[in-house]
Amino acid sequence: MSESAMDFKPSASASVGVELELQILNSRDFNLARDAADLIALIDKNGHPGAVKPEITESMVELNTSIHGGHETLLKELQELRDTVSKAADRLNLRIAGGGSHPFHDWSDRRIFPTERFKQLLELYGYLAKQFTVFGQHVHLGCPNGDEAIYVAHMLGRYVPHFIALSASSPYQQGQDTSYQSSRLNTVSAFPLSGQIPFVHSWSEFLEYFEKMRGYGIVESMKDFYWDIRPKPEYGTVEIRVFDTPLTVERAAALATYAQTLVRYVMAERPFTPSREVYVLYNYNRFQACRYGLNGKIVDAYSKKHLTLRDDFLETVARISLHAVEPGAGAVLHKLAEDAGSGRSDAEWLRQAHRDRGSLNDVARMQSDLWMGRVPVPA
Amino acid sequence: MAAPRNRNPERPRDSPITLELCIDMSSFLPQFPPSTNPLLLFGLLLFAGFAGGELVRRLFKVPSILGYVLVGLLLGKGGLDVLNGHLVKDAWIFVDVALGLILFELGRRLDLTWLKRDPWLAATGVLESALSFGLVYGALVYFDVKPVFAAVAAAIGVATSPAVVMVVAQELRAEGQVTERALNLVAINSVIAFVTATMLLAWIHHEYQADWRTILLHPIYLLAGSFVLGYAASKIAVATGRLLGKNEQGHFVAALALIVITVGAARMLELSVLIALLVFGVLSRSLDRDHVLMPFDMGRVGQMFVVVLFVVSGASFKPEDLAATGTLALAFILARFAGKSIGVLALTYFSGVRRGSAGLLCLALTPMSGLAVVMVHDAGHLYPEFGAKLAAIVLSAALVLEVLGPLAVQFALKRADEAAKDSQ
Repeated sequence: MSESAMDFKPSASASVGVELELQILNSRDFNLARDAADLIALIDKNGHPGAVKPEITESMVELNTSIHGGHETLLKELQELRDTVSKAADRLNLRIAGGGSHPFHDWSDRRIFPTERFKQLLELYGYLAKQFTVFGQHVHLGCPNGDEAIYVAHMLGRYVPHFIALSASSPYQQGQDTSYQSSRLNTVSAFPLSGQIPFVHSWSEFLEYFEKMRGYGIVESMKDFYWDIRPKPEYGTVEIRVFDTPLTVERAAALATYAQTLVRYVMAERPFTPSREVYVLYNYNRFQACRYGLNGKIVDAYSKKHLTLRDDFLETVARISLHAVEPGAGAVLHKLAEDAGSGRSDAEWLRQAHRDRGSLNDVARMQSDLWMGRVPVPA
Repeated sequence: MAAPRNRNPERPRDSPITLELCIDMSSFLPQFPPSTNPLLLFGLLLFAGFAGGELVRRLFKVPSILGYVLVGLLLGKGGLDVLNGHLVKDAWIFVDVALGLILFELGRRLDLTWLKRDPWLAATGVLESALSFGLVYGALVYFDVKPVFAAVAAAIGVATSPAVVMVVAQELRAEGQVTERALNLVAINSVIAFVTATMLLAWIHHEYQADWRTILLHPIYLLAGSFVLGYAASKIAVATGRLLGKNEQGHFVAALALIVITVGAARMLELSVLIALLVFGVLSRSLDRDHVLMPFDMGRVGQMFVVVLFVVSGASFKPEDLAATGTLALAFILARFAGKSIGVLALTYFSGVRRGSAGLLCLALTPMSGLAVVMVHDAGHLYPEFGAKLAAIVLSAALVLEVLGPLAVQFALKRADEAAKDSQ
């Protein structure tokens, strides 16, 4: 890796881009299919906005948007991408679904997508590579320089439980109800390079750390760190990676807008200085969010108060709404808060679908109907 | 229960009791030679077929099906000639059940909504069926086969063996566009083949100077009757599923029962087992709008019947037919392959699948087997002489394709990289 790959490429403050990892299902029993290569080839042939990429197993496809200033254009591009991908999937008799996990697939049936990098990951991580068939949303947020990116990364660490609870959509794994709202992150935690960014204060300090890890031969590039939040110097962004892929692109856009507004808030108001206490409490708060969603109880590192995630989220929305300046952003935050208040969430939707139908095949089918826009998005 | 024996050492050997036993023995010991029964036959065929399948799979890494067929050939008319006459008749009941299971599952694979979303797939199925019919008919007539025989043989040739494609795909645990498209094309060409062959019955009746009522009404009775039977079965299946709720075991047993009932009812009413079961499968999916039925996988139960199906179909072949009709069989095979390939190659591109998939699909449509045997069997039932003449043409070709077909499907699915890596 050349030096320049670790140079922080400046980008517009709080610009936003989204990556969505999605499930490819067959139309017969709605288990995961293996058609990523055919699907991506057909989408590329037809032309599309953004980018469409393979992921680690043949049952996954990743959509990337371009860079956006605000909510409306982001949502529009996500909807276009969804329509393009759904159309291609229709022709191949496949279905595409959101959600952080497939409800009943068996990880041992998965096959690694045949690229050098993915084959190396299988070689290195063994069965974890196949179990990594879980589906996340990554949100990139633009930063003017590396120092700012480090600051933003530490600030966002405080809000990781929000991101987890709001996006949680992986209650089922391998045919069982895990009792978690987001079981996906338990899968990620098994990787040795998962976790959090080290407590550094500047880009140069971060580079020192990176060089040390590279010197040990542990990593080659930023890609090898599976952190919850990581700087991405070649894009000039901070990347949040804890979101489960929501059930709809509308919710995906809303969550990105929440993250974007938070970043505007911390960049403008600089409410806190980075604190080690955030990382002392980090795993406890993160667990509460995964297990209980917005009903989880967290400890705030700055005020030392105990409070429910729902209250903390609602307070945060109230505090940052001033910074929801882009068209549509205010309404989106309002809707998120409303859903949080009424206990509506993707994990709950999935469990309700299972209670109604009694079969996880039906849950997967309904999940794909929802994502592909075959049924209206719940108001 | 074992017969009671005199094991008491204190009793003298020539006591009257022993003598009595000797006399009585004839009343409970089997006659010699003992007569077989269908169950024993089923077990033996299953065991022998399975052994043959394992052998070829381990030795040559080819699909087990080939082993089943070879065991059939060995036992049948062309080999040791032990599986013949009434034994084949006894075994036929298991062939019917096997075909019922396979056609039902194939029908459930046929996704009518997919054909709407990708009309090119439907068009491919229709074109390859039409071309293979036309070319085979032309080739046979060219070789001076009587047109009525040529037409029926061509109709039979339209169908790709669902059993071979499904069983090889299952054995490889294959999944992907080539596998799914091949199975849907097989379903389409099976429907076309069954319907065409049924309608050609009118011509056969005409040839044998049946009266016009038979000429007209027999095909209509077969088509409409089999359709209604399949429709009724699918309605009952969905209603039963609704009553059972989401209970996988329950759905499986209910489906199995309905499949066997439908096969039996079709035989009882002199309808087409093939059409009735295929319709049952297709409608049980497309009429089930609320997704009441759970996914059906015939699994191990199906496997049992499939082994017997292939052994029996292997036993129906006579290699000496092949020698007698060599050129004709070759012409049949080449014309059929050409028709299917032109159809598939012409239209598959428009479906948007990856390059190379079309060629592999052509290979995957090669097999022809069990169904040809059944269709000839059914035709022979009516006019034995007609059946015999047809058999000579079709079965030689089927014999060759029975051996080449599984290999072609295996090659195609592996080449398409759709087989699970750790199978075989």
